[in-house]
Amino acid sequence: MLIQLKGGRVIDPVHKRDAKGDVFIEDGRIVAAPKVREPDEVYDVTGKIVMAGAIDMHSHIAGSNVTLGRQLMPELPVLAAEGGQPIEPSPAELGTFATGIRYAEMGYTTVIEPAMIPTHAIEAQIELASIPIIDVAGLVILGNDDYTLELLRGGRAKGDELKDYVAWTLHHSKAIGLKVINAGGSEAFKFNDRTFSLDDEVPAYGVTSRAIVEAMQKAVADLNVPHPPHVHCNNLGIAGNVDTAVATIEATQGLPIHFAHIQFYGYGNEGGKGFSSGAPTLMDAVNKHKNATVDVGQVMFGQTVTVSGDILRQFDGRRSASPKKWAINQGEGNGTGVVPYHYKSKSFVNAMQWAIGLEIFLMADDPWRVLFSTDHPNGALFVRYPEIIHLLMDKDERVRWLDDVPEASREFSNLAEISRELTYSEIAVITRGAPAKLMGLNDRGHLGAGAIGDVAVYTEQKNKTKMFAGADMVFKSGDLVVRKGKVVRVTYGRCYHVEPGFDPQIKRRVKSFYDRNYGVDPSWFGVSDAITNRRDRFATIPLSR
Amino acid sequence: MAKKKGEEAELDSALERAADLLGRARFPVIGGLFTDIAGAAAALVLAEKLGGAVDHAAGTGLSRASRVMRETGATPASFGEVRNRADTVVVIGKGPLERDPDLIASLFPAKLGLPRPGDNKREVIFLGLDKVRTPRHVRSSSIRGRATLPELVALLAANVRETRFDIRDKALRTKLDRAGERIRNSAFAVFVYDSAEIEEPVMHTVLETVRHLVLTTRAAIMTVAAPGNGDGVNLCSTWTCGLPVRTSFARDVPEHDAWAYETDRLLETGEADALVWIDALEGEGAKRPKGAPTVVLSSIPGRASKGDVVIEVASAAGDHDAALYLAPISGIGMVKAGKKNKDKPTVADVLTTIAELIDARNA
Ligand SMILES: [Zn+2]
Repeated sequence: MLIQLKGGRVIDPVHKRDAKGDVFIEDGRIVAAPKVREPDEVYDVTGKIVMAGAIDMHSHIAGSNVTLGRQLMPELPVLAAEGGQPIEPSPAELGTFATGIRYAEMGYTTVIEPAMIPTHAIEAQIELASIPIIDVAGLVILGNDDYTLELLRGGRAKGDELKDYVAWTLHHSKAIGLKVINAGGSEAFKFNDRTFSLDDEVPAYGVTSRAIVEAMQKAVADLNVPHPPHVHCNNLGIAGNVDTAVATIEATQGLPIHFAHIQFYGYGNEGGKGFSSGAPTLMDAVNKHKNATVDVGQVMFGQTVTVSGDILRQFDGRRSASPKKWAINQGEGNGTGVVPYHYKSKSFVNAMQWAIGLEIFLMADDPWRVLFSTDHPNGALFVRYPEIIHLLMDKDERVRWLDDVPEASREFSNLAEISRELTYSEIAVITRGAPAKLMGLNDRGHLGAGAIGDVAVYTEQKNKTKMFAGADMVFKSGDLVVRKGKVVRVTYGRCYHVEPGFDPQIKRRVKSFYDRNYGVDPSWFGVSDAITNRRDRFATIPLSR
Repeated sequence: MAKKKGEEAELDSALERAADLLGRARFPVIGGLFTDIAGAAAALVLAEKLGGAVDHAAGTGLSRASRVMRETGATPASFGEVRNRADTVVVIGKGPLERDPDLIASLFPAKLGLPRPGDNKREVIFLGLDKVRTPRHVRSSSIRGRATLPELVALLAANVRETRFDIRDKALRTKLDRAGERIRNSAFAVFVYDSAEIEEPVMHTVLETVRHLVLTTRAAIMTVAAPGNGDGVNLCSTWTCGLPVRTSFARDVPEHDAWAYETDRLLETGEADALVWIDALEGEGAKRPKGAPTVVLSSIPGRASKGDVVIEVASAAGDHDAALYLAPISGIGMVKAGKKNKDKPTVADVLTTIAELIDARNA
C-alpha cells in the first residue's frame, strides 16, 4: 500500500531538506515520489511539520538495574504527577508497556537502552521485547568486570584477547555497542575505595581508568563496530569536575569516543559558592575534538530517581536521596546504585545543572556531535522532552524559566546571555539524524528513499511543549500507530545489534573463567532468539567497513 | 503442537470452559505462579484484562522484601560477589540452608580465583542454628542460646554498633562479642537470610547494620531465592505494572497490598470468586488452596475437584526451555529443557489463548 503525506513542511537535515513537500511510504519503507501511480491513502498534512521518527540514544528503560529503580520507587509517577509533570499517577506508567506508548505518542520510534549488564542481558532483552511500538537496541557494560581487568592487569592488553572478549560480549548479549561506566571505579569500590579518578589504579589489578578506556576504544575501533565506546566518565556530579572531563576528552587520541550525559561533568568551582558553569570550558574541548560525540543529560526540575552503574558515585549520592531511601546492588562488573532525587528550581545547584545543560546544547558548534538526552530517568523523565525542545527553540521561554531560579544561579551561569534558538532542522539533527548516524542505524533518522517508514507529523504551533508532547500522526515501519497524540494501534518492533565476530577460542576461555570463579555456565545468560516468540525480533546491523 | 485429534478436542473444550469460568468471574485471582517469565507475563496480561489479582505461592516472603525495599531500600550483593569476595558470611536462621543445602559449599569453593579485599581468613557465622560442616579452609562458629532469632539478630546488631546491652547468658555474650568484633574488622561482611523466615522488623535491623558498616567498610545482604521462580515472577510483575506480586487490577490504577491480595485470604473471605492456579515448574510443586472454582494449569495435574477446569501443561525447564531466576547469576537466565516435549502447551500458550477467547466473546 502506497501512503502519501501531502503538503507538509518536511524537515530532513540528512538530505538538507526543509521545504513544503510530500513523503511517500510503501511496504514499511520511505519511497521516492512515484511517477505514475496514485497513492492508496493520502493524508493532507498542510501546515504540519513532518520529520523522521525520533531516536533516543540514551534512555534507561529496561533491565535489572531499571527494575531495581521500579522496586525502590513505585510511587515515582504519582509524585511526579503531583509535581505537575506530564505523567499519569500510576505505578504502571514507568512499566515497559506504558514506556512504548508514551514514546510513540511523542513521535519516538527507536530508543537505545544504554546499560545492559552482561550477566543480566536476558532480563534486559525480555523487558525490551515487552515494550510496544518502538525499535530498540542495547549497549552492554564492560570495564569493571574481572575478565577485562585481568586482561589489562598492569596496564597491558595481551594480544587480541580483549578485542575477542568485547566481540563475544556484544554477541552474547545481542548489543549494538559497548558502554564503559566509571572505568575501574566500581571495581575499586569493591575494595572500599570511595573516590576514583582518571589516573587512579584499580586495586589488585594496577590498571588505570585511562588505560581501560583507551583499550576499549582500540578494541571497538578494531572490530569496526559503528558506535564508539559510550563512556560515562569518573567524578560525575562533583564541583570542579570539568577538568577531569576535559582531560578525558584530550586523552582520546583521535579515536572515536562518545561521552554520555556531559552536563553532569560541566561543573566549575568558581564563585562564592564554589560551583559555577564549566560549560564554556567543556564545550571548547568538545568543539575542538572532532573524534568525540556527546549527549547532554539535561536536568529538569521535579521528582525522579537516579539509576546508574556508577555505584561509587551513587553510594556518595545516597546522602542527598529524596525521598530518603536508596539501594546499592553490588553485582558482577559495575553493579547498580539507585537513589531517588528531587531537582528543585529553588536550589542553587539544581538550577545551575539545568542551566549548564542548556548552555551545552546552545554552545555546540556542531549539533551532529552534541545529542539530545536527559539520561532518563537520571536528569529528567523522558516525558519532559517537549519542554526541553521548547527551551532550546524559544529564548523567551528560557527567560520565563530563569525568572524562577535563584539569583546566584543566573549569575554563575551564562544562559541569560545566550540568544541562540535552535531551528527545526537542528532539533531534527539532535533527535534523529545524529543519533542514527552515531549508532550505525543508517536506515533511519532521515526521510530518504529506502529508509524505514518511521515518520512523525506535528502540528506547528508557537508553544513547542504542546507541539512535541503529542504527535499528530506517527507511522512506525509504515503502520499508522498514533493519531492526535494517542496510540491507535499497538505493534511490536525489533532489536538491533552488531555481530563483529571473534576467535572461537574466547568462548572456551570465558566458559572456564565463569566456571572457575562463579560456578556458572555463560550459556545461562546468553541472549538467544528464544527470549521472545517473535521470529524476527533481532536484526544485525552492518559493521563500519 | 503435534497432537492427536482427541487430545486436541479435549484441550479446546477445556480452554472454552476456562474462558467461560473466568469471563463470568467478578474478581479472579491468578495464584501459584510456579512458572517461567513468559508464563508470568501472560498471567499479568490476563489479570489486567479480567480486572483480577496476581499472587505467587511464595508471595509472603516476596512481599516482605518488597516492602522493606520501598520503605528504606536495599544493599544486596550478587551470589558471585559473595562467593568471590566476602570474608565474613553471617547465615541468619535455618531458612537459607533449607532452601539451598549446598549453599556453604558453593559460597566457599576450595580455590578462589578473583582478588578480594582484605586478608582475613574466610569465616562463616551461623546465627540461630548449629554449625554445619564447612570446608577446612573456612572458619565457622555458631551463635545460639535461649534467645529467639529476632532477639539474636538484635543483639548482634547492637554488638556490631558497640551499643551497650545487658544479657545474663555469659556464653552467649562472649560469642556475640567475638562475632561483633569480627564483623567490624571484616573487609566485606555479608548477611544471608530467607525473606520467608524473618519478619520485616528483623530485615530492617539487618539493613541498618549493613548501613552502619558501610560508613567505613564494605557490607551487604544476600537473600536466598524464593521457590517456584518467585523472584523472577516478582521482577516480571514489577517491570510490567510497576508493582510486585499481590497486585490487583480491579481499578484504573494497579494496586499492591501484601495482605489484601494474598490468594488464601481472597479465597477464604470469598472476595475472589475464581482462581487460576499455576503449577508448572520442573522439579517443584506448589500446594493448591481450595475455596473457589478453579482453572488449574499444571504439569502434573492431580485429581480435579468438581467444577474445576484442569489443563495439563508443559513443565518449564522440563518440557520446554525457560527463562527463570537463577541464584548463581542473581538474575534471570535461560534454562534448557531436560527432555523437550512439544505435545503439551506452555502456560503462556494457554493463558494467551484464554485471553483471546475472552476477547472474542466480548467483541
Ligand atoms: Zn545513563
